[in-house]
Amino acid sequence: MIELRNVTRRFGDTVAVDRVNLTIETGEVCVLVGSSGCGKSTTLRMINHLLPHSAGEILVDGEDTTAMNPQQLRLNMGYVIQGTGLFPHWTVARNIAMVPRLLKWPRQRIDARVDELMKLLDLDPATHAHKYPQQLSGGQAQRVGVARALAADPNILLMDEPFGAVDAITRENLQLEMLRIQRQVRKTTVFVTHDIDEALKLASRIAVMDQGRIIQHDTPENILRRPASDFVESLVGKQDRGLKLMSLRPVRDLMTPHGSPKPSRPGADVLREDDNLRLALSVMLWQDLPQVAVFNARGEETGVITRERIIQEGA
Amino acid sequence: MRLWLPPALLAVVLCGLSAAMPVLEPLFRWIQPDKQQVIYDRGSFLFLLQNHLLLVVISAAVGTFAAVAGGILATRPAGRDFLPLVSQVASIGQTFPPVAVLALAVPVLGFGEAPILFALILYGLLPILRNTLAGLEGINPAVREAATGMGMSPLQVLVRVELPLAGRIILAGIRTSVTINIATAAIGSTIGARTLGDPVIAGLVNGNTAYVLQGAILIGLLALTTDSLFEALERTWDRRFSPQGAMA
Amino acid sequence: MSVTGPVASRIPPNRVIPALALSALVLVWLLDLGTIQPNRIVAGTGHGLLSSLGWIGAGLVTAVLAASIVLSMVPLARRYLLLLGLTGLSLAALPLLLEVFASRHLPEDSPYARSSMGAGFWCLLFLLSLMLIEILGRLKTRRSLQLMLLVFVCGSWLTLLRSDGLESLSLVREFNGQGGQFRQALWTHLALAFGAVSISAVLAFVLALKMIRNTAWRRPVLGAVSFLQTIPSLAVFGLLIAPLSALSSAFPVLQSLGIRGIGWAPALLALIAYSLLPMVRNTFVALTEVPESLADAGRGMGMTEGQVFFQVKLPLALPVIIEGVRITTIQAIGLTAVAALIGAGGFGSFIFQGLGQAAMDLVLLGALPTIALALLADALLTMLAASLKPTSARS
Repeated sequence: MIELRNVTRRFGDTVAVDRVNLTIETGEVCVLVGSSGCGKSTTLRMINHLLPHSAGEILVDGEDTTAMNPQQLRLNMGYVIQGTGLFPHWTVARNIAMVPRLLKWPRQRIDARVDELMKLLDLDPATHAHKYPQQLSGGQAQRVGVARALAADPNILLMDEPFGAVDAITRENLQLEMLRIQRQVRKTTVFVTHDIDEALKLASRIAVMDQGRIIQHDTPENILRRPASDFVESLVGKQDRGLKLMSLRPVRDLMTPHGSPKPSRPGADVLREDDNLRLALSVMLWQDLPQVAVFNARGEETGVITRERIIQEGA
Repeated sequence: MRLWLPPALLAVVLCGLSAAMPVLEPLFRWIQPDKQQVIYDRGSFLFLLQNHLLLVVISAAVGTFAAVAGGILATRPAGRDFLPLVSQVASIGQTFPPVAVLALAVPVLGFGEAPILFALILYGLLPILRNTLAGLEGINPAVREAATGMGMSPLQVLVRVELPLAGRIILAGIRTSVTINIATAAIGSTIGARTLGDPVIAGLVNGNTAYVLQGAILIGLLALTTDSLFEALERTWDRRFSPQGAMA
Repeated sequence: MSVTGPVASRIPPNRVIPALALSALVLVWLLDLGTIQPNRIVAGTGHGLLSSLGWIGAGLVTAVLAASIVLSMVPLARRYLLLLGLTGLSLAALPLLLEVFASRHLPEDSPYARSSMGAGFWCLLFLLSLMLIEILGRLKTRRSLQLMLLVFVCGSWLTLLRSDGLESLSLVREFNGQGGQFRQALWTHLALAFGAVSISAVLAFVLALKMIRNTAWRRPVLGAVSFLQTIPSLAVFGLLIAPLSALSSAFPVLQSLGIRGIGWAPALLALIAYSLLPMVRNTFVALTEVPESLADAGRGMGMTEGQVFFQVKLPLALPVIIEGVRITTIQAIGLTAVAALIGAGGFGSFIFQGLGQAAMDLVLLGALPTIALALLADALLTMLAASLKPTSARS
């Protein structure tokens, strides 16, 4: 758990972060979102003490960070930055092994861990371990960045616009990957982005920041439904909030289940329980259907969802 | 105007000192009490300065002309085949020590002003050539394409677009070349050229520190004057052609 | 011929090599290939290509040059490899021409007679070297291969020059005449140049670190070192004489250490002063150009400042720092030659002695090794810098 109490950061006369109070529960993904210069990166960098705070307290698992050795503090926090921050003079494997080596793990344990992480992030160790960062694509490099942050199995993950420098399709894939990994490893994550859609997709709770203050700290759904101010409202977009809300809810919520799953039928582009309502509606609109079948992960048909119900209850 | 003050002041000091060195005789006598003659007199300092300058100016002019022409030719479609070789030679040539080039000119051309001029031109050409190539090659191809696309002839592209853009880098090359050549011309005294190196060499041969000092001070002043002149030139160029530079 | 059509269009004829080879052909026939001198000082009589080598030798030289012209025009897939072999071998075998020349023209009864290389020979050497550079550039060979080629050519030259047939060559005569002094000059030259480079490297490192920590140091330090660089070497050597001799007469301890107004002490001091600019500038730029985001990534993951410096910043800065060492070393090798004027020794002493005695072969004995040292240092340090760069296959 990370707690920020009245945290303030001044640069000379300007106040970059102004009396911020924020509690991030263990295992949740807190996304700090806001336009550039709003203080979101500064807030993140104060958590691992890359920037000392001017006033207030930052507690990690109840302990004040100012009292801790900054290196020890950071070794227990994975850190991913925009443009990867991979060291160009080290191979992929050496980059991932960075923190374990700092922690002086035995050689074999490091090798095993590097292998494990590369597989977790869908990178083939045989082909990629000995490449240099310049030889990777943007998406691959970013995965290595995430692997490096996870290497010593830290409790906390800090991510500063990690997917800001990659193209839209790669970003989408990385986001899905991150959701998948988060389900597996459950790290307390602080994620900074200026992209509200990314925030809505990834967050357990979102903290909207503006001019150094937190304007609203709430779940994505509440941010959409009850924006605390005009600023938040314009950030999430007034008009397409309905669709954005739909994209937060899985098909499972509104489908009519069958009594027992029907055996699988071949078909690639079928709707799954985990897909969101927005996608379901889109499929129905495109194929001009009043309802579509829903399948589970094993490919069995588990129910149907109707256009009518989505429109009535979706948003 | 304040830009041109340091070179002007230094030039005045340089000329004044060259003309009035005998006035300082008491000072040099104090430094070198055991010699009868303490002011170098085998040629007036003004004459040596003038000759030194002449060598450097001629070599810089010829070198600049040849190097820029060569650089332009090697970057045109017709001469592009020669580009790798020319740029290799320009960079390998600069690893040759200037003294060695000077020394090698003597067996070919004999003693006197001819070999030193030859060596100065040849050696001074290299940094200018290298910078000309870097300047012309460094131009964003889109700029060249835009100029051609808007109907400029190749000559117009060269004169109106490429040379103004590369000019700053070429100027820096000339500065390097002149700095090296002032130093090399001074050493040229050893092969019979009359330059400000003469008093230094004579002083070293006769163990007369006063001579050495007189030559060394004037050579140093000449170098500083030239360098501050180029500094002023480069600043002026920056102001005229890159507005960001002027604002900073 | 129809088969070679498309191949020909893919391999355009090289225009550079024919131009070079043709110039070589013209110059080698027009100028004197070698000169015979009755003794060290008297001017010699020149011999053209035909007279020097006879019909067979002259024909062979002409044939090799003509062959390289033909090879560079015909559309052969492997032609640059063939050209590389031809040019490399010709360069390596070049001293043989001198051997043939000496055996044909050297009067047997006069022990002081010597043969020396004429303008034609120098032109041939120069143009063949240019051809080799061009071929290596087209082949895009690895640096290690280039170095091997260089070693092969130099090795062949050294072996041939030490053989009996070239004993009469003026350069060899001069070398034998200097005997131990050559080795002495080599060591002095190396000691002065590398001493200055290593001392200035340490100084520059300290200064660069100071400048990074404290911005107030930047302008004065850079100003001072570029001021030092602007003053011509001869002036610096000259200006150091008076204060150093004053110091050594004031403190006899210094005198017993060999520190005087002339000699190695002012030379080393001036060389260090000169070396500071490229060293400080490159070290400073190299260390400051490592992106702050990388240092931050290191810190953010728990590296100490020391670990960030030694594991991230320094390795990334090293190629640029080595580039500074390269520039400095080349410069120092050249300036050490000038330092001979104030009695510091080294190859420069041969140059200036030779100039003083109008003994051109002695000048060459000083100038050629100086150039060779500079080229060697350049090649080695470029390779070192390249090997330290992380592979940059794609960006």
